Amino acid sequence: MKFDTVIIGGGLAGMACGIRIAEAGRSCAIVSQGQSAIHFSSGSFDLLGRMPDGREVTDPIAGITELEQTSQEHPYAVMGAERCLKYAQRVPELLRTSGISVLGDCRKNHYRVTPMGRSKATWLTIDGYLTEQEPGKLPFEKVCIVNVEGFLDFYPEFIAEEFRKYGVACCFETINFPDLEHIRKNPSEMRSANVARVFDHEKNLDALADKIRKVVPECDAVIVPAIIGINRNDSLGLLKSKIDIPLYLLPTLPPSIPGIKAQQTLQQCFRALGGEYFLGDTVRSADLENGRVKQVYTVNHGNIPFEADHFVLATGSFFSEGLVATPDRIVEPVFGADTVYASSRTEWYTLRFFDKQNYQAFGVKTDSALHVVKEGSSIDNLYCAGAGLVGFHPVQEGCGAGISLLSALYVADQILNSK
Amino acid sequence: MNNTYDVIIIGGGATGAGIARDCSLRGIKALLLERSDIATGATGRNHGLLHSGARYAVTDHESAEECIRENMILRKIAAHCVEETDGLFITLPEDGLDYQAIFVESCNKAGIRTEILDPDEAKRLEPSVNPDLIGAVRVPDGAVDPFRLTSSNILDAKAHGAEVRTYTEVMELIREQNRIIGVQAYDHRAKEERKFYARVVVNAGGIWGHGIAAKAGITVNMLPAKGALLIFGHRVNKMVLNRCRKPADADILVPGDTISLIGTTSSKIPYDQIDNMIITPEEVDILLREGEKLSPQLAYTRILRAYAGVRPLVASDDDPSGRTVSRGIVLLDHAQRDGMEGFITITGGKLMTYRLMAEWATDLICKKLGVNEVCRTAEIPLPGSVESEKEVERKMHGKPIAQKRSSIARHGALATEIDSRDSIKNSLVCECEEVSIGEVEYAMKNLSVNNLVDLRRRTRIGMGTCQGELCACRAAGLMGKRSPVCAKKAKEDIVSFLNERWKGMAPIAWGDTLRESEYTTWVYESVCGLSDETEKTSMP
Repeated sequence: MKFDTVIIGGGLAGMACGIRIAEAGRSCAIVSQGQSAIHFSSGSFDLLGRMPDGREVTDPIAGITELEQTSQEHPYAVMGAERCLKYAQRVPELLRTSGISVLGDCRKNHYRVTPMGRSKATWLTIDGYLTEQEPGKLPFEKVCIVNVEGFLDFYPEFIAEEFRKYGVACCFETINFPDLEHIRKNPSEMRSANVARVFDHEKNLDALADKIRKVVPECDAVIVPAIIGINRNDSLGLLKSKIDIPLYLLPTLPPSIPGIKAQQTLQQCFRALGGEYFLGDTVRSADLENGRVKQVYTVNHGNIPFEADHFVLATGSFFSEGLVATPDRIVEPVFGADTVYASSRTEWYTLRFFDKQNYQAFGVKTDSALHVVKEGSSIDNLYCAGAGLVGFHPVQEGCGAGISLLSALYVADQILNSK
Repeated sequence: MNNTYDVIIIGGGATGAGIARDCSLRGIKALLLERSDIATGATGRNHGLLHSGARYAVTDHESAEECIRENMILRKIAAHCVEETDGLFITLPEDGLDYQAIFVESCNKAGIRTEILDPDEAKRLEPSVNPDLIGAVRVPDGAVDPFRLTSSNILDAKAHGAEVRTYTEVMELIREQNRIIGVQAYDHRAKEERKFYARVVVNAGGIWGHGIAAKAGITVNMLPAKGALLIFGHRVNKMVLNRCRKPADADILVPGDTISLIGTTSSKIPYDQIDNMIITPEEVDILLREGEKLSPQLAYTRILRAYAGVRPLVASDDDPSGRTVSRGIVLLDHAQRDGMEGFITITGGKLMTYRLMAEWATDLICKKLGVNEVCRTAEIPLPGSVESEKEVERKMHGKPIAQKRSSIARHGALATEIDSRDSIKNSLVCECEEVSIGEVEYAMKNLSVNNLVDLRRRTRIGMGTCQGELCACRAAGLMGKRSPVCAKKAKEDIVSFLNERWKGMAPIAWGDTLRESEYTTWVYESVCGLSDETEKTSMP
């Protein structure tokens, strides 16, 4: 099989890169083993929430400009603030044309509300989710938090505990009906994706709407967990049309419905643009010739190679096994790329879980154009994009999605500008 | 408030719990004080090995005899805490078979049943055993769950009138001339000082007993010996595996519930480090290297956590240098030894002999109180072991099978008290260990659960492969439901639960453990937005 570009990894980075390349009419394949960080998305995409020293960021681009001076290893600094701004401005459009409607501004963070009711700075939020312009500045005074009876991955009491700090009155309501009893027969089935399937039936949306209508007199808004609309796109709109007060979604614990939905939407968009998406396949080895990648081999395709002019390593970090930790090293398993990490394991982490852990910033060594480096030399037709990059703390700095999206677009541009 | 008792027991390990039970069965009004949760010291930080005594047969005949006697008693009175797996003492080529003959002879002398197996027979019985073995001896080793055992003793003690206060730390012993008449304690939950009085105060603080005795100006010379262990992600072996040689580091592999455990190392540590157990990379290396010799497949088995306990070894009174130590039971009547009335210390020993230690201590308490009752703890089954497993299974007919099995395994006959009336109560909070909403609620209501880590000890929630990745949050959600105050506390609780979990994972954080940790960070810190608000200085 021969392509212009083969992207290894179907997470946010791989997908964004693939869409750009396919859009430009180039033949592109994505090989995805299936699970990525997008499956536990919060419904928002972060660009930069905090500086490496912990300071809060209000203007992410200003923050990135500062990073350029102070943290030269950081992928944003490697790409440069000017490019970051350019690509950040392109992202909302890319998501919207793919079918993910988002709101937000790369020059000013807004706040998303977590399943525990906390506020976190973010960049773009999918329509329908509760957001705040300032932490604690909520768009209601009395809210009813609705949950599905026995659904344990959403926390009305925790949310209320935070909201009450800001003077918002909270009441609770739970909903139950026969179709939910059905999935409960298997005691481990009460998880978001299964519950969401139940709400794809309109009669169940009706039941939810009925319940909401009953509590309306006491409240000026309702909150429901993000378990609406997994296989159909109109569920949220439909539900909103049945009630006459504002309704906001809040994310749940994984699996994340907005994440799954975003994944599906991007994947469909990529395919519609002519891209080939190989789901459930894993790249296991590569042939290099004269310092270039010639072809890669996958588990499902055995000795049939994937040939291409360009390759993108978008396999992510540890969770998706783009990086593998052994007791004494960090390995990039596909190409055996050079990796950057602390040599002594005791330096990989501290004993406090919420500390900034060094291992989270380990990654694949690249040059300034994000070419992967192996045995000290850049491979000029192999790029790295996304979470596998070195030099940033996706969680503490609130920059995981931003790094994935911006590095993907940067890499795509370089591929499109070559030959 | 009535704050006067016949006896105050300091320490909520197996020994303290055993004394509380023994005393209450003999009609003595007992108060047990524990500074943290039950079974948090050495009790909960060992192999969970139901020793046959074989390990001590050659080197310590007395311990071996005590072990086999208690082994047989626990099978009767604590059936729901015990798994009758039997054990193998294997000889590897590097050990040579000479030791086996002495070993078998010593076991027989101590009354420990042995059966010499040829290597093929041993491999058939235990497929995970090192196939290079040249000999094997089968002994009545088993597995015992220390949390469950302690919890059952506490339940029974309470049922017979004992009062148990966890998170209550003894600050001072109240002294009147040459007599201890009570204690001054700090209640960490109510955040207040309280005084309790009794005619006898028992120091059952394990290694911490050294400090408790010091409060009375008494020296009990304890030598803290740290033992590190590793827990593996699934049950590798069916039978306990030991090396047939002089006891050494990392030569016991014990199966328990869904996991296997290798241990232990042994190193002396300074007394001021007993609350600060850090597992070193060297300890992890020794455990893996030696463990693989018992069962080579450990090399490919995921490690779940590393942890360490501190054995309370006691230096003989006549050897101040501390070189002569005893692993046997040490019962000190401080009236005789130090001229301090109303105060006794029970220490040394091991989990296996907790009941016997409690019996000795209670005999002495009775003597001091003039109570004339005999010990019955060797005959009366613990709550949970009153009915046979079959009988309980029959009563729980119609419940989901896997859950029924795991809840019976955890709570024995008391599993019937878990609310399982509908599908909501049966919904799983923790998939790895099959813990239902009903079981979590039962534990919160009946088993004095104060936080997530306590809940983990009672139900095994978060102890499986994922180490509490999502179930911690779910359980916290259930705890937070009780009241708005609970919601705030439950959120803080998740943070301490994750810190506690991470302490055990960090020493082995590579491969899948590091993957899980990255995922957990995303879920809790990014998706949920939790952060650690506690002072950085409060932890090492």
